[in-house]
Amino acid sequence: MRTLHPFTLLAVAAALPALAWILPAPGGGLATLLVALSLTLTPGASPGPAGTGISRSWRPGLVVFRTALFTAAPFWLFLLLLHDVRTTVAIGLRISTMVASFVWLAAVLAPDRLVEATVARGWSVTAAYLFAATLSAVPVLKARARRIVEAQRCRGLSPRGSVANRFRALRALALPLVLSALHEVDERTLALESRGLVSGARRTSLAPPPDRVVERVVRWGLLLLCLAALVRRLA
Amino acid sequence: MTPLALEEVTFWYPATETPALRDVALEVAAGEIVALVGKVGAGASTLLLVAADLAPRVTGGRLAGAVRRRARSGIVLPTPWTQLSGMAFTVWDEVAFGPANLGWPGHEIARHVDHALERLEIVSLAARDPVTLSGGELQRVIVAGLLAMDPDLMLLDEPTAELDPAGARSVWRLLRLLAGEGKAIVVATSELDAVPDVADQVVWLDDGAVRAIGTPQLLAEDAACDDGLGTTVARIWRAAGLAPPYPLTVADAVRRWP
Repeated sequence: MRTLHPFTLLAVAAALPALAWILPAPGGGLATLLVALSLTLTPGASPGPAGTGISRSWRPGLVVFRTALFTAAPFWLFLLLLHDVRTTVAIGLRISTMVASFVWLAAVLAPDRLVEATVARGWSVTAAYLFAATLSAVPVLKARARRIVEAQRCRGLSPRGSVANRFRALRALALPLVLSALHEVDERTLALESRGLVSGARRTSLAPPPDRVVERVVRWGLLLLCLAALVRRLA
Repeated sequence: MTPLALEEVTFWYPATETPALRDVALEVAAGEIVALVGKVGAGASTLLLVAADLAPRVTGGRLAGAVRRRARSGIVLPTPWTQLSGMAFTVWDEVAFGPANLGWPGHEIARHVDHALERLEIVSLAARDPVTLSGGELQRVIVAGLLAMDPDLMLLDEPTAELDPAGARSVWRLLRLLAGEGKAIVVATSELDAVPDVADQVVWLDDGAVRAIGTPQLLAEDAACDDGLGTTVARIWRAAGLAPPYPLTVADAVRRWP
């Protein structure tokens, strides 16, 4: 799955939620959710034990499957509080499809391949940067948040205990995290500028992922399928 | 032809009345290493930004005087983690980020990146994710990124701040090698003990102005020692009440020991 072209992965992850909302409920939502959950079980939908990329068994796929289910669960709860069972099922299936598709995409889409694909396709460097920087910011911010929490703990602030304690700890985490990120912007701008990331630069793609004919056909097929479903629904 | 010449350069950051640089004149020749020394806030980092054409073009502000660059420049800023591209997910790609932005052909990029990794002794890190590196490893990666772009004028702001002593010595040795290959290098550093073995010329900045320019022997003068800018050996020699001129390095001191 990870060897597929990043645009194909994006197309699948976009088409499933689109179809979930276009097709009549609850059948459409159920069908797309089953497909999305099946995808989360596919080999390769998890970094695997060594974090080196492709897993060969179904077991790591279960991690992604479980993540999708756990992420979608709270939405069902909220929907049930707000709507009747029929509406809850209709919307819940659609939202679950969105969640499962996104979780699957996050598991299989390698950011570096996406960057290379966008650069190879001739997108502007700044657009590719926006994609990649957003994706790579997550682990950086997580690591920094961990360091801030450790520092706060060393100074006696515990993130455990009452709600008030936890809120205090959250505030002590959020402020330095946001301020440090803002503080970095100036220097990062200078660094990127000095390393040639300027508007209009013609960046060389280092390792463009292969884009096979069959994948292009699949992408167009998905687009046509969504359009056809939309036309049929509106007719 | 000098790769960099600053003529009576004065620079103001945006919304400030006091200039960060005042009437700075400096020439850097090919194959020469110039060390910028001074207290915190003396203007060394600003001078590098001006030399790199980042100030005022990117930072904003106002510049008076003339800056003549006759070479392609590259800069290493003081904090390595803010210089990660965010577009690379391996060290190799991180080092290749600059050359790729320059639009070089793939084989040229690969040659320069491999060479830079070898020179910084970080070939073993090539497949690592940059965000998992230690500060010292990251600093080498950032220097390698600059080197891979093959600039004729290298500007480095505290390039050894995150390195252990062995790593720092290795970077200083590399800079000497690069100067030997004809690159012009300007380095702002607070590692004063390394300066005598590395720099050809020392520029002492004070409150945005050039207070003195000379050979590294400048760091053994009374005025520099008074300002905390003497080398450790010079300051010890002076504190011991031994006669000037003070030695700069341990080797100097051993030679001159009475």
